[in-house]
Amino acid sequence: MPYYRGICNFCGTGCGHLLRVEDNRVRGVYPLPGHPLSRGRLCVRGWHIHELLQTEDRIITCRVKEKNSWKEVKLEEAIGYLAEKLSRYSGWEVGFLGSPRSSNEDNYLFGKFARAVMKSNLLSLTSDAGQEESTLVLLEGTGWPAALGSLERLRQADYILVVGGDLTRQNPIVASEIHYAARVGARLVTISPRETQMARLSRLHLRPRPGTTRLLLQALSRMLLDEGLIEEDYLRNHTKNHGDFLAAIAAVEPEQIEVATGIELRVLREEARRLSEARSAYAFYPTGIQSLDRNTIAAIFNLFLLAGKVGKPGCGINPVTGISNLLGSYDMGLSPLLLPGYSPISDEASLQRLEKLWGCRLNLEPGKSVSESLAQNTRMRALLVVDHDEEIIRNLKKIENLELVVYFGAYENPFARLADVVFPLTTYAEADGTYTNSERRVQLNEKKVEPSGEAQPLWQIMTLLAGAMGHRWNYSSAAEVMAEISQVVPQYSGITYDKLRIRPGLKWPCDQDHPEGTDCLLIEELSRPLKFVLESEPVQTREVLKAEEGYPFKLVVGRSNYFWHQNSIMKKTFIPRREYNALLLLYPGGFVEISSEDARKLNLREKQSVRILATNAELRLAVRISDDVCPGMLYVPYFVEEMIPEFLHRQVSDLEKNEEFYLPVRLEKVE
Amino acid sequence: MYFLEKAKLPQLFELLKRDYEIYGPVQDEVSGEVIFDRVPESSGFDLEAPIPYNPPKFVLFPHFEEILKYHYERQTKRVAIERINLLQPKVLLGLRSCDLTGILCLDRFFLGQEFVDEVYLEHRKKLFIISNTCVRPFPQCFCVCTDSGPSAREGFDLNLTFTGPGYLVEVGSKKGQKLVEELVLPEAGPEASRLKKRIIDDSVLSFDRVALENKAWISRATNRLTTGFVRSEVWEYIGHQCFECGACAFVCPTCSCFNIEDVNFRTGDTYRVRTWDSCSFEGYTKMAGDHNPRKPVEDRRNKRFFCKLSYSQSKKYLRPGCVGCGRCARVCPGDIGLPNVVTYIRREITGD
Repeated sequence: MPYYRGICNFCGTGCGHLLRVEDNRVRGVYPLPGHPLSRGRLCVRGWHIHELLQTEDRIITCRVKEKNSWKEVKLEEAIGYLAEKLSRYSGWEVGFLGSPRSSNEDNYLFGKFARAVMKSNLLSLTSDAGQEESTLVLLEGTGWPAALGSLERLRQADYILVVGGDLTRQNPIVASEIHYAARVGARLVTISPRETQMARLSRLHLRPRPGTTRLLLQALSRMLLDEGLIEEDYLRNHTKNHGDFLAAIAAVEPEQIEVATGIELRVLREEARRLSEARSAYAFYPTGIQSLDRNTIAAIFNLFLLAGKVGKPGCGINPVTGISNLLGSYDMGLSPLLLPGYSPISDEASLQRLEKLWGCRLNLEPGKSVSESLAQNTRMRALLVVDHDEEIIRNLKKIENLELVVYFGAYENPFARLADVVFPLTTYAEADGTYTNSERRVQLNEKKVEPSGEAQPLWQIMTLLAGAMGHRWNYSSAAEVMAEISQVVPQYSGITYDKLRIRPGLKWPCDQDHPEGTDCLLIEELSRPLKFVLESEPVQTREVLKAEEGYPFKLVVGRSNYFWHQNSIMKKTFIPRREYNALLLLYPGGFVEISSEDARKLNLREKQSVRILATNAELRLAVRISDDVCPGMLYVPYFVEEMIPEFLHRQVSDLEKNEEFYLPVRLEKVE
Repeated sequence: MYFLEKAKLPQLFELLKRDYEIYGPVQDEVSGEVIFDRVPESSGFDLEAPIPYNPPKFVLFPHFEEILKYHYERQTKRVAIERINLLQPKVLLGLRSCDLTGILCLDRFFLGQEFVDEVYLEHRKKLFIISNTCVRPFPQCFCVCTDSGPSAREGFDLNLTFTGPGYLVEVGSKKGQKLVEELVLPEAGPEASRLKKRIIDDSVLSFDRVALENKAWISRATNRLTTGFVRSEVWEYIGHQCFECGACAFVCPTCSCFNIEDVNFRTGDTYRVRTWDSCSFEGYTKMAGDHNPRKPVEDRRNKRFFCKLSYSQSKKYLRPGCVGCGRCARVCPGDIGLPNVVTYIRREITGD
């Protein structure tokens, strides 16, 4: 029962681990020493991945629904059945919902099937909150759509800014690296309305009132300007539109900032100076499980660009992906707007290149995401879904009304019960595949155990399905799929399985000029100047100040360690599930966090039942008094499915995508 | 004492292979790091390799282990219980003295108290232990502070000490004696004891030069922890840095806490499973009626170090619960491994 080297499949950190395999079952896990990022550490989830991998709660046979009952069928039969059904639909009628947990190879062929076989651009991901916004901001600003900096060199940083979320919960090992950097001297500053563990580990916690994070970031830019901390040469030589940006920043009214954010200008002035003086500075923000909106991400980017911290060694802005292959899924073009390799679908040359490579015509019209399609009652009549179950809560009725729902998954979950056809997928330990972590590191995870039942990797099922629909694809291994990816996706052009087998991953762009990958973005290597990302809405100092009449509290949502991915995954483990239940048993109906000051004012006791009223809905929860929230703020952990009534589900995509988003509410005691 | 020529190691290996599954230090090809793992071939392991990243605990006390199987017949309402007993005899080859001491602590927990753990006993009975003296320490080591190295004094079947041309072999049990006889090892001669002592003295002396990662003032920390004089602010400072991952317990050679779950299989059988657990988890100490004596994270951290270093706890193990391997310091995302905690306690004493 030896230990086999692999990559953890939970979050976008991509830690190295060793899986202990005995009798074709994964029996234990241990951190892999010598992994360049995780350096022999794992988080609570990573330490229990073996429990998930040997759950009995697997999908192991193909099944087809007939008159509301399931019939188990052979793979060929299910493929034939599905191919026949799909042949009745046009591209605009079939949606494709990919999974950020699938490998690059799986995602690539899933996307290729959608675009090349079905001619559909209704192609998107789940749990990708903020990733698209982050991608678009960084693309516009630099031409690089992902982490600009290197995590390997983080320990030499002078200044680290963390905005939003709680990385100690979402990506604990990235947070650990940040903590180590702070322990050896980096100034760690967290901007977050909530007092998170990340905030407690920071030298300075800037705690803006909910909804004012963006304003705070703009204020920092304004302070750079006011204090004359701008490198004119850098701006002139390397950036394009700094005049426009400086004009926009000049509109931020300093006297309003203090009132709106609750943070003194003196403090901001000092931080601006420290940021400007740092030789090595990094910014982090989460994407995936919970994220920031486009404007706030743009404000982070602009602040760093103005401070001259973009495109230099030892500097970078790093979005941290919450799910294992979220970045890779975007690299593979699982997006209604972007093709594999990040060229926009509206770009004719890119589309033609892809048509040539794939040898078929493609649909030119930009698509929509599946959730948009569901929300807007489009022509979509069929849906193919991979390893997923979040959308079900929000759009249950609409999904039930679709003519055809197909589910590809390794584990039983609520979505599978809705489907008309179900295909069993391998787990990441049962097939070869590459996964791309937050820092662009493409890592190979090799097969360690034989698949359960009839499970197959997704790329293989897509190949069979394409074959049944008249497209001959000749892939006989994941390595062959990667060989094609390296031709299609420019960033991956230098990546092969042979190379990956003997390395702890390669960071894209990995191409002719960078055969060993690229550590960080450097100005010298850019073919275009950097660009400030002008925010789509003007600064709204006054707007923020306006009190919502009758609804004095700002309600925000968040997640934590054990409550990850709606718990569909965590519930299949023992220890993380117990931890989840510990909280669930304490607050079986869910809880709302309120500051001790507000609790005193309203005369509330711990666990007392309260009603939370919004303009058009209400919610009943137990009180949990905690000074992790500031006065005037309420926090509801949105992750415990059982706790959250429908009214929050309706808001949740906004709440998740945008930490700045809050719901004005009122609180009443239930007598 | 006997002498084993280096060239004879493969012979020892083959002999062991006849009766045992062999576990020993193995080097990972890509990272170059050493893992304690199953060794299929004599060429696959290196006795002089650095201390493995994982302790051998998993061999006796697996991360995940089925300990019982039962089948409930719904109609007849009868339960058939089956004992699982498929254990192979195993040898731990090249075990470092800290890790052997860890096993002795586990023995006292699982076997030395009122109830004997049958599953552990089964593992333990089938175990053959060949320990290996650390002729030089490694950067993370502090076994000299915890009285668990650099050479084992008890608990082994055979203990090896590398001299250059080969190994001095001490016999610790009848099983060990039998193996030595089968290998027809020569006596090491009258100078052997003195040679071994010199090797160990050299090793201890080189701690100051080599073992620089961790310094642990264990005796004073024990005193302080036992008398409860560590201020709550120190625990809070430590608690704030805890990521609650459980790693310190999972990598500790002496940590023995476990959780029990019943898992229903598709076949209708239920397996009772034992898994590693950790006192850093909130759910670990949670009781019925919402009571949790150690709810805040700093209280849970404090519990761990009390367990490792306090005098009352050490009485149970007949030694400190820490064996000085330094693994917790390496795996900790919050950088609050035991040596650092001892440092914080020391700072409190000295006022640095």
